Amino acid sequence: MDFESLSGDLHRLRDLALAEIAKAADPAALDQLQIQYLGKKGDLTAVLRGIGALPPEDRPRVGAVANEIGEAVKTALAERGSELRSVVQAQRLVAEKADVTLPGRTVPRGTLHPIPETVAAITEVFGQFGFVVYEGPEVEDDLTNFQMLNIAPDHPARDLWDTLYVDIPGHLLRTHTSPGQIRVMQSTRPPIRALLPGRCFRYEAVDASHGFEFFQVEGLMVDEGTSMADLKGLLDEFAHALFGPRKTRFRPGYYPFTEPSVAFDVECVVCGGVGCPACSKTGWMTILGAGMVHPVVLQYGGIDPERYQGFAFGMGVERIANLRHAVPDLRYYLENDLRFLEQFR
Amino acid sequence: MRVPLSWLREYVDVQLSPEQLAERLTLLGMEVKGVERWGADWRSVVVGELLTVEKHPYADRLHLTTVNVGSGEPLHIVCGAHNIAPGQRVPVALAGAVLPGGRRIERTEKMGIASEGMLCSGDELHITSDAEGILILPPATPLGRDLSELYGDAVLDVDVKPNRGDALCLVGLAREVAAVTGAAIRWPEISVEEVGDPVSDRLRVEVREPELCTRFVGRWVSGAKIGPSPDWVQMRLQAAGMRPVSNVVDASNYVMLELGKPTHTFNGAAVKDGTIIVRLALLGERLETLDHVERELTPDTLIIADASGPIGIAGIMGGFDSEITDATTEIAIESAVFDPVSIRRTGHQYSLRSEASLRFEKGQEFRLARIGADRVAQLTLAWAGGALSKGRVDTAPTEPAAARIAFRPARVSKLLGAEISVDEQRTLLRRVGVETELASSGTRIQVSGAPKPLVVDPGSERTVVAIVPTWRRDLDIEMDLAEEVARVRGYETTPAHLPDTLMPAYRPSPLGVRELVRQTLAGAGLSEVVTHALVSPLDEARLPWPDDAGEPALPASLAAQSGHEIVVTNPLSVQHSVLRRHLGASLLDVLSLNERQGRSDVGIFEIGKRYARVAGRPREWTRLAILLTGAAEPAAWNRAARPYDLDDAKGIVELLCRRLGLAEPSYVPDTRGFPFHPGRALLVRQESGAEAVAGRLAELHPDAVAAWDLRAQRVIVAEVALAGLDVAAPLRVHVEPLPRFPEVERDLAVIVAESRTAAEVQSTIERHGGVLLRRVRLFDLYRGTPLAADEKSLAYRLVLGAKDRTLTEPEVDSAIEEVRNGLETDIGAHLRT
Repeated sequence: MDFESLSGDLHRLRDLALAEIAKAADPAALDQLQIQYLGKKGDLTAVLRGIGALPPEDRPRVGAVANEIGEAVKTALAERGSELRSVVQAQRLVAEKADVTLPGRTVPRGTLHPIPETVAAITEVFGQFGFVVYEGPEVEDDLTNFQMLNIAPDHPARDLWDTLYVDIPGHLLRTHTSPGQIRVMQSTRPPIRALLPGRCFRYEAVDASHGFEFFQVEGLMVDEGTSMADLKGLLDEFAHALFGPRKTRFRPGYYPFTEPSVAFDVECVVCGGVGCPACSKTGWMTILGAGMVHPVVLQYGGIDPERYQGFAFGMGVERIANLRHAVPDLRYYLENDLRFLEQFR
Repeated sequence: MRVPLSWLREYVDVQLSPEQLAERLTLLGMEVKGVERWGADWRSVVVGELLTVEKHPYADRLHLTTVNVGSGEPLHIVCGAHNIAPGQRVPVALAGAVLPGGRRIERTEKMGIASEGMLCSGDELHITSDAEGILILPPATPLGRDLSELYGDAVLDVDVKPNRGDALCLVGLAREVAAVTGAAIRWPEISVEEVGDPVSDRLRVEVREPELCTRFVGRWVSGAKIGPSPDWVQMRLQAAGMRPVSNVVDASNYVMLELGKPTHTFNGAAVKDGTIIVRLALLGERLETLDHVERELTPDTLIIADASGPIGIAGIMGGFDSEITDATTEIAIESAVFDPVSIRRTGHQYSLRSEASLRFEKGQEFRLARIGADRVAQLTLAWAGGALSKGRVDTAPTEPAAARIAFRPARVSKLLGAEISVDEQRTLLRRVGVETELASSGTRIQVSGAPKPLVVDPGSERTVVAIVPTWRRDLDIEMDLAEEVARVRGYETTPAHLPDTLMPAYRPSPLGVRELVRQTLAGAGLSEVVTHALVSPLDEARLPWPDDAGEPALPASLAAQSGHEIVVTNPLSVQHSVLRRHLGASLLDVLSLNERQGRSDVGIFEIGKRYARVAGRPREWTRLAILLTGAAEPAAWNRAARPYDLDDAKGIVELLCRRLGLAEPSYVPDTRGFPFHPGRALLVRQESGAEAVAGRLAELHPDAVAAWDLRAQRVIVAEVALAGLDVAAPLRVHVEPLPRFPEVERDLAVIVAESRTAAEVQSTIERHGGVLLRRVRLFDLYRGTPLAADEKSLAYRLVLGAKDRTLTEPEVDSAIEEVRNGLETDIGAHLRT
């Protein structure tokens, strides 16, 4: 064995290895080749076993050749490996092709009921003007629901509130959220800006526009100079916030607990003011009642009517929701047909 | 109130179109709900002249007529009426005409003779109440004209507010029109010719209850002849929505609509001894009223009586025996003022509310008693003839002077937020008949009236006194005049500006936590519902929700949240007659409705109230209720369906606890059975200081599902009290410093008897885990080989750590050993290795 023949063996081995690496079809074959040529029991090692038979001066030269060849094989393995991996990856990507037009995996998502949502929309608007939320009881006493609101027993205006009574003496199911005005005034001092949302009850047969249970939001503002002009300014902001840039109308109304009393209309949301069946051909839709708090009511609230004045307003939540969402029938709200509710996605 | 424009014009000039007038009245506070075209439903009805009237050859009851309708050939019309004669002008419905009620008139044949239209009665046109004869028109009525052009009218439907009884009549509304347009009022000319004996010879009146009948004015007409009133009167009454009856009754009704003064006319011959007594009914007295109903009178009923007994319920309805009939000749006219409260109570008591009682309830102008009596007498004489006795019976002839109300114009401006000069305010008030003068010194201001009168001294503030017409009984205090100023000036002139006064202090919203819960649950796939608070008492039997009182697993605070059902004493229906004591039944109703619509997958929640009477007081609590049934995740192309089960309800409560910043809740089995599944019901509780979660989660018992007639196999229901639902509770997250030393995880597979609960195992681990144990989480549950049949394996991951050091292996081992020993000794568990 001499240097030349050993070197020739090594070069043949290299050529053979490079050829086989080039032919390798997959990473597993490459792994096999790596073991076959470079492993502890591999061909390169086997060739180098012959090194002992060489004269000592040739051994470093053979070592250099062997290293060079080892590196060449390693490089070839790495290059071929990277080549093969990109082929495999490309194949995998092709195989993984999905029909991306299929619908997605549905994320369960419930819906929020339009009544509390409308209450939230109303409180959001007035909240920006400093109104804070209070709540009063639904089972009210006659005193607070009527008498302190300047509605004596047997007052003809009681016809405006057909009442459901309960088996607790002196109590009834509140017919409006207005008794909350009394409760707020009794529990706090001016300046007052309060909102009172809640459920109300009336003795009323159910049809598309009436129900015996319904929801209202009451508003109350009392301070030394709170005027009807403040009321008008706020209601205009409110109407514009909920119904967009529509005309509004401020006209006389009647409530025993306000003086003067106000009815507040917006331009019909259906016809835009031209006149249609929805607005009884008037072009206007009444969205709430309001007025300056009656001095007697202030007094019942413990507030001096000579020093303070204020306004109150009350609106039907269903009415507002009907106009915002074009709901045709009041019964939809408490019936809870999911086909209705799920439209409020 | 229905207001025919042609009738209104008798009292005030109206240049505006009906629609313009409607808008102006609405802006003045007399809201016009609609404008109806009276006669719009007479189509192809024209004026014709009868040329010939002959007997029908084959029918005795019929006539053959020829009618000139102004153009073309005369029409041949068969007619059944008997009041027709040649030369008369009559309404003719041509072939193709449509009458009120949608009745179509066609060319027909009657007993073998062709008829080319129909002659119309007043009743067929809804103009008068006469259905017998043909409506005979005045001779000068233009031939061929459309009847609707001649007799058509615009009728305004005015919503007169309860405080404005004075405007519940044509004259009253004419005053409002005058306030708008500035036109003058024409008060009807009321004058009577008194020719008979003194009225005192005929009629005596004794008022025994002067508080309830403050004035009674009587008049007497002799020798009247009862019959129909003139057609124009009938037309007016019809257009105003009132049925014509007879000339005398119509006179009374006409005056009510014209002046707002309800009166009553009796058959004078039926008033025994000509003596009317106004008194309370006696126990056991009975009266047959005009509607032929025999009524038992109660002793608080104010009645009109004669010597032999009741002849009318005061202000409500007259008696049948003293009714005006065709044979009546003597007419007693009653024009009284009754106490509004008494009338209102009596009307409700007998469920008898008439146009008259509605007006009495709102209060009556005192002097109208006199004017009304005269007007009825005048019209009775004009329409029914007869002789009017001299004078009136009048129990309170002194009429009060106009009220004087002092006001401070500067206060009016301040309230309205608009600077309105004193002169302008006085001018505006004059338009509604309120005269003013400058106040003399010492004038006091009525800031507020009964029941909390407040009178103040205006000091140096400029003060004006308003002299209020007697009909404006609604004007009482200073601010009432502010409203008059505002409404006559026009609310639209009120400036609009945003408040620039002080803001109130911060207050957390009671809706805050509810909002957070709503958003969280909707995000978790549930749909929100809002249901009735009023439910059926039968729900209690169908779903007997257990009382929280005395439930040791629930916080004591909940025990007070039960009590007795609150019952509505005048319910609309039994379905909605009690206030619910829990929300479960309401959600089952929603499920039932949706099942009928073919829905089987329902996941819903409601944040609503439950109610109870506790110690005689009403109480209300806000609760969260949940109902789950069907698929939690419906099957899709990329996912199999998964049904809802109790774990979903628990998961929702756990999610809420996390969202509210609370620790995990604990569960206690509830094995009561009906209405719950005995093995799948639990009480949930989480208490961290005052903030708490407590309630029930359960799968319904199959019998309960059946009782609600549901198709669902399994229904999960829950009702939970959450801190912050009722009273705003701030949420705070307290941050733990991040661990500086690594934590160690160890998994334990705990084998226990089947009867042991997961809660027992977990609490045992926590109890024995010592200070190093930070968290425990169940991650697997296994039954089957190699375990015994009555065993199960619960696999927990324990996380251990210390704040000040990295734990050593022996420390961890000894902590785990401690847990293992505790599990063995406390609950007989052993670890699977």
